[in-house]
Amino acid sequence: MNSILISLLAVPLLGALFIFSLPTNRKELFRPISILVTLISLTQSIYILTKDSSKSEFIITSKYSWIQTYGLDLSIGLSGMSALLIFLSSLLVFVSLLSINKEHGDSKGFIGSLLTLHFAINGVFVSGDLITLFIFFEAILIPMYFLMGIWGGDNRRYATIKFILYTVFGSIFIFIGTVYTSVISYSFNGKLAVDFDTLSQISFTSSQSKTLFLLFTFGFLIKVPIFPLHTWLPDAHVEAPTAGSILLAGVLLKVGAYGILRVSIPFFTVGFLEYKNVIALLSVIGIIYGAIVAIAQIDIKKLIAYSSVSHMGYVMLGISAGNFLSLEGAMIQMINHGITSGALFMLVGFIYDRRHTRKINSFGGLKSVMPRFAFFFLFTSFASIGLPGLNGFVGEFMILMGSYNSYKLLTSISAFGVVLAAIYMLWAYQRMFTGPITNEENSELVDLKTREIVSVVPLILLMIFIGVYPSFIEAYVVNDAEVIVNVLKGFK
Amino acid sequence: MSSVSEILNFNFVVIAPTLVLLITALVLLFATITVPMSMKIKKGITFVGVVFTLLTTFLKFGLFLTDGISSYFSEKILLDEFSLIGNTVISFVLLFLFNSYWSASSKLEGKTTEAVILILMSAAGFMLMMDSENFIMLFIGLEIGSISLYALAGLNRGDRLSNEASLKYFLLGSLASCILIYGVALLYVSLSITGVYETSIAISFIGSDNVPLTSLIGMLLIIVGLLFKVAAAPFQAWAPDVYQGSPTGYVGYMASVAKVSSFIVLARLSAVSIRFVIDKFELFFAAVVILSALFGALFATNQTDLKRLIAYSGVIQSGFILSGITSGINGISASVFYLVTYVIQLIGLFYIFSLISGSLGSNFSVENLSGLFKNNKLITIAFSVFMLGVAGLPLTSGFVSKFILITNLWSYEKYTLVVVLMLSTVAGFYFYLRPVWVASIEKSEKELSIISTTLSDKLVLIILSGLTIALGLFPNTLINITRWMVESYL
Repeated sequence: MNSILISLLAVPLLGALFIFSLPTNRKELFRPISILVTLISLTQSIYILTKDSSKSEFIITSKYSWIQTYGLDLSIGLSGMSALLIFLSSLLVFVSLLSINKEHGDSKGFIGSLLTLHFAINGVFVSGDLITLFIFFEAILIPMYFLMGIWGGDNRRYATIKFILYTVFGSIFIFIGTVYTSVISYSFNGKLAVDFDTLSQISFTSSQSKTLFLLFTFGFLIKVPIFPLHTWLPDAHVEAPTAGSILLAGVLLKVGAYGILRVSIPFFTVGFLEYKNVIALLSVIGIIYGAIVAIAQIDIKKLIAYSSVSHMGYVMLGISAGNFLSLEGAMIQMINHGITSGALFMLVGFIYDRRHTRKINSFGGLKSVMPRFAFFFLFTSFASIGLPGLNGFVGEFMILMGSYNSYKLLTSISAFGVVLAAIYMLWAYQRMFTGPITNEENSELVDLKTREIVSVVPLILLMIFIGVYPSFIEAYVVNDAEVIVNVLKGFK
Repeated sequence: MSSVSEILNFNFVVIAPTLVLLITALVLLFATITVPMSMKIKKGITFVGVVFTLLTTFLKFGLFLTDGISSYFSEKILLDEFSLIGNTVISFVLLFLFNSYWSASSKLEGKTTEAVILILMSAAGFMLMMDSENFIMLFIGLEIGSISLYALAGLNRGDRLSNEASLKYFLLGSLASCILIYGVALLYVSLSITGVYETSIAISFIGSDNVPLTSLIGMLLIIVGLLFKVAAAPFQAWAPDVYQGSPTGYVGYMASVAKVSSFIVLARLSAVSIRFVIDKFELFFAAVVILSALFGALFATNQTDLKRLIAYSGVIQSGFILSGITSGINGISASVFYLVTYVIQLIGLFYIFSLISGSLGSNFSVENLSGLFKNNKLITIAFSVFMLGVAGLPLTSGFVSKFILITNLWSYEKYTLVVVLMLSTVAGFYFYLRPVWVASIEKSEKELSIISTTLSDKLVLIILSGLTIALGLFPNTLINITRWMVESYL
């Protein structure tokens, strides 16, 4: 298990270095090599999923002594939730490499940055201590900075700096939290070790736990993002190139929720119990606010961005309710949202490559010229809304069921988010695809090519698969949820 | 009967690096005024001198292993861990920046070697300053070093900014020297001592509560004089102008040696001389750290000149290093780690600036960097690594140094300092990333003149940026060295 975890990090990194070292004029090599690299890491992640040990709680598999004098190690490990998220990120990187247009596919900087991003994301999900987590958390920023900065839209400078500053501001709190934790750890066992095994044995006092929970959770919540810390997200999505958007919505938003599930709740439980109502309230505001703002959008990418705010609100609601069903639902919703929003951004990318606009009202009647595109978009919209039988339904249903026990009023309000989701998604579909062709420029559009269909079909298949057979992924998160539920029981 | 040299404890190994530097400088000086000699030979002589300086610092290590902490020349010269580390760092700075200052000198009017002579002299002075056990020796070393730096700042005579920098540096610098020597005088008046170790002995003898106010003020003034040299706020006003105006090829040297030597001396003061009364200065140090972080971050945010930006960033870094130096022995070791990693990034940055702008120019605006990535990829990558390192991004040495420093501060419960320093780090990401953006992302419209790099330039940049990353991934060795350095003061 250990060697495969290391290779999960090594393969994308070496792939990126290899791509960077190729001469710039060998354009035809970049994409095939990178696809090969991600295919390897995708196979690895599937292999991990087939192992029974991947369904366990978090187990640290290896350590590297980073600063010996202070007893600081960098450690990596795996749990069922991590394995699923690694699979998701490998799949999304793979399909986004398939889906990107020629301009991006011919640029070695773009492809190299994507692989570096892949490395950093995998790193977050396998980190077994706070320092490793922080290092990879920040390492995500470097490739994102270049992806958004060089290949972004017209207003990319503003959006990139905003994205970076928001995240860095949040991560400073995580940094201070890490420092505080290591100082506390020192008073317990004489070294600054902050790996998850050590942390689970430390009994934090009530005030320490509250402070640390606030420090860590604030940093992670910016990444989720929760209302009112979400304002970087629409800008970043609109300006990022398609592949950047896919990974931003598909995986990067999950990093925040993952951090809360992995660090904030298990170790700083008293703080969680103290502040969970606030988080629940904010996430319900986010669900409704995101959905309403999404209805009003005229830019399709911004619409999906705000829908992400709404959907991630469900995840946070499920987490803050803190019972077995809602936690499982939150973890499953993380995966599902990754698949659907990734697919939506990819589809929007296809139409943007053809028309170089994202304004909803510049389309209309696309169904008659691009029937296949219309089918995929409608299908993904249904999954995103949460139609029973597709993946979106599973997670949201479990979250609502689970949360109802803890927050009756809030859960009832958040159920309206599903209705609002139907409004904004279907209305957008109606305006873009149905009716006669209103804009002459659209009548010449070419329907999806084979490459584009191939890149979206894996996601579509997963939507159906998870929709009809949710217990497949539920088996992976059950232990992670159980750990948290047990910790919470101990404090009640 | 023991001879005079034995009584006075002469030992030339202890001052060997200083002597080598002085001899090299003298040889160059005579070569310049007597026999006409080609620049190549002079360059060779200088290089040999610099390499020998580095080798002789290793001789000092050997002496230290047999003698331990010891004093020579009738308790004027001290051999301890601080002076060893300081000498080594300055020797490495001289070696790495060799190309940078030499190419600046060969472009000077009349192609004189006076700049190189000044640099060697000042390095000798600063090494003497770090070796001094006696405050008066310290002052002499500081003056030898500083006066050369004032002259270096103004070497580009045709440039107004260079003249301005030199005069400002000279006036403010000599004021700071006055303050320092006044502090020494007050200390002598009240306790009749001038020694680094004598001070701590005297304080422990009379008890830290009975130390006369005069001597406390004396110590404070000595510290202020040193803080001026490292450009900690509120003593930072000269730094941006001097950095901007001085010939770019020399600024890397000027900035790093002044910081290294003054911080090493401050660290020794804090570990030895004032260790029993350091809590009396706590408020003062806290104020300096907070002011440095705030001033530096506030002013750096809207700088368009890169050299000024680095000057203000240096103010923030001084705040960081000072915060560690004044919080315990572990803090000192963390600070020295910080100092070494910062100096690596600093000289790397100025090396790049002098490569891009030609080593004599004074202004260096951010726009000079545009299109750099297309022009020269290695320089852009190295530049980004240094900038991100100074910003403190994980996987670079900047992150490790900030982490161990902040952890130490937190364990001393200096929460205010932690918050202020961290806020300045966030602001840092804004102003450090902007030049990186311009260099690597923004497309340039104007025609680019190709930046030529020699093999040695490439080598230096690869080594320095490689060190910045390597010390982030494998910091163990350097941390162990800095731990070893403070072990005997625990």
